[in-house]
Amino acid sequence: MGISSIFDIASSGIAAQRLAIEVAGENIANVNTPGYSRQEVVMENRPVGTSNGFALGSGVQIQTVRRSYDGMLQQQIVNSNSTYQQNLARQQALQQIQPSFNELASDGLGKAVDNFFGAWQDLSANPAGSAERQALLSRSQILVDTFRQMNGSLATVARTADNNLVGIGAEVTDHARNLALVNTQILATNSVGGNANELLDQRDLLLQKLSDKIGITSTLASDGTATVTLAGGEQLVSGTRYATLYTRASAAVPPTNNIRLSGLGNPPPANNPALDADVTGTVGGVGNSLGELGGMLQVRDSIVPGYISKLDEMASTLVSAVNAQHSAGYGLDGLTGSNFFAAAGGSAATIALDGGLTAAKIAAGFPSVADPAPTSTGNNANTLKIAALQQTSFAFGTGSATLDGFYNAMVGGVGIDTQGAQNTAAQGAAFLKQLNALRSSNSAVSLDEELTNLTKYQRAFQGSAKVINAATEMLDVVMGLVR
Amino acid sequence: MRITPGMTADNAIYNLQQGRSAMETLQEQISSGSMVNRPSDDPLTTRQLLDLQNQISAGDQYSSNITKGELFLNITNTALTGMSALMQQVKKIAGDMASGSTDAATKAGAVSNLTQLREQLIDLGNTRIGDQYVFAGFSNSQPFDLLGNFSGTDDSLDLEIAQGSRVATNVSGGNLLRGGTPPGSLGVDILGGIEALISAISADDTAGIGTGITNMKEGAERIAANQAEVAGRLVRMDNMKGMIANNQNTLKSIYGDLQNVDYARAGVELSQQTTAFTAALSTTAKLTQLSLLDYMK
Repeated sequence: MGISSIFDIASSGIAAQRLAIEVAGENIANVNTPGYSRQEVVMENRPVGTSNGFALGSGVQIQTVRRSYDGMLQQQIVNSNSTYQQNLARQQALQQIQPSFNELASDGLGKAVDNFFGAWQDLSANPAGSAERQALLSRSQILVDTFRQMNGSLATVARTADNNLVGIGAEVTDHARNLALVNTQILATNSVGGNANELLDQRDLLLQKLSDKIGITSTLASDGTATVTLAGGEQLVSGTRYATLYTRASAAVPPTNNIRLSGLGNPPPANNPALDADVTGTVGGVGNSLGELGGMLQVRDSIVPGYISKLDEMASTLVSAVNAQHSAGYGLDGLTGSNFFAAAGGSAATIALDGGLTAAKIAAGFPSVADPAPTSTGNNANTLKIAALQQTSFAFGTGSATLDGFYNAMVGGVGIDTQGAQNTAAQGAAFLKQLNALRSSNSAVSLDEELTNLTKYQRAFQGSAKVINAATEMLDVVMGLVR
Repeated sequence: MRITPGMTADNAIYNLQQGRSAMETLQEQISSGSMVNRPSDDPLTTRQLLDLQNQISAGDQYSSNITKGELFLNITNTALTGMSALMQQVKKIAGDMASGSTDAATKAGAVSNLTQLREQLIDLGNTRIGDQYVFAGFSNSQPFDLLGNFSGTDDSLDLEIAQGSRVATNVSGGNLLRGGTPPGSLGVDILGGIEALISAISADDTAGIGTGITNMKEGAERIAANQAEVAGRLVRMDNMKGMIANNQNTLKSIYGDLQNVDYARAGVELSQQTTAFTAALSTTAKLTQLSLLDYMK
């Protein structure tokens, strides 16, 4: 053991501290990088030798640069992200729907129905009055318009959700491609014995981004590459290969977007709608409960159609009840059997006033003993019967209710759905925040810590340099002896 | 637990956001004056509020119906009062002529008077509001012609004054002045009776005049009975109007209890929230400033 071994030990120290400072620098540089996991150097002493009969180490070496990472936490974040994003998509759609039903702030369908029957009451006081008849016509037109407008705004929400599917599909494919690329790079780094820490971070971040959009199951191979399967079991990414998730118009009228998945490959085979699997039914998970995509599908396929079918039920009940009573009555022209609403318009989208309806056609009269085929313009018996329909209970799918009651229940239902989505989204956000805090606690960079490390390693570096200085002086002294 | 500056920042953002959203809700409630601004704020209360709104607007509609009905009945009442006064004169003339008269001038005066009174009765029978004849039933044309023939209907023109409760707003002219359709089928035919009286007076038929006097008395009683009936309906409407008004007050006060913001409570909550939010802002500002960098050379 000579003086030269002092140089060895000191230079190993310099090299190790320099690397440690580099890692600290990398950590500080990435303090705000999403998905970055802090790294720390693990130092160990070099093999022990014997010097003058004493066991003495031969300096320091870097065993590994370790990445602070909790796989379990990562998996939980991926899962809750999917649910959270689904709720968020649902909440946004419901918040767009709610204003149409907000009878508290503005007059909507409920008020229009009220006004419609009110106009019949007014007509009963002056059945021949042309002002009352005109008022009834215009209030009926408002009622029809309100039905159509609500149907229209609901359909717009569904259409927006449908359009969003295209963009989401493209984003998913983009993430899948990047993940396949990262997988390739991980394999390449591994093959030259490199350290793929940053790539693993990127891999995790991509998995997280994928889980925002759709429900996924990911498995990590021992080499660090990720395999991703969709909720229906189809593979999206496998090693270096990935598939394209794309939308195709369905055969329905009007067409909606179906979601298809191409075969695996790098690049994947060209889209072949005839052969590629149609994953529309499964990609959102059970009940379309996963990812933004699941949320959009749920809005398009269950939430909006649910409300529209209730509006349709209300419209068709109103149309048939009013028509039945109206056609039993007599208009000013002495004719009976005419419809008030168009008989074909039994839904919120198609409801309309009867084409032949004019002020004179409004059937206010109803046969009485003294007036068997009403020719008297003052006959108001039918207006009272139609006005009474407002208080009549009808058999709806949800039970027996008046038109007002059914609509009020629908408004309450929209409120409950919206409130529920808001609450779940808020809970999801809080849960995700907690998970992210746990992840940060484990993996995120703390500047104070890195600065302390920096000082620590800097001092150690100075120490090692000082040792070299001492060794040089010792060597000088030895050289001086032989001069 | 290891705390990183990123966590502090995330926490600060999340909590400041929560604070802002709580203040936003209070601010919305205070500025709109309403507790429930959209169905999702409180779905069950929304349902109640809408039901209350329906009941209130139904009450408004019934009130408006009653106002219209009262107008009809008041006009009818005025016409009936006029008829009643005319009948007094008819009865008086008939009474004066009870034992007949030999003086041609007296007879001619009585006949001309009675003819005038009969025409006035017919005019009153044609009383109208706007283009509606109050004694015509469902018919919208003049119910009595110059000869006193009734061409209206006997239907009652009903209005709804409460759910399922209807009130007739008219009196049948045929029954009133002609004693039913055909005339005299239900009671004394007043217009026909006056004509008979005129003939009896002209012919000095004391027995006929006597019958006429009895008939006129009976007719006057029928008009009085109709007056009483109309007055009764008016009272019923008035009572109903009072009940509706009471009911509306109750409904509106329940609505207010559910929907109106208690400003004192909202104000106190807002000041609590503001204090909490200010504290959050100040600690955030202080904590995010702290760094080892400030102390390293």
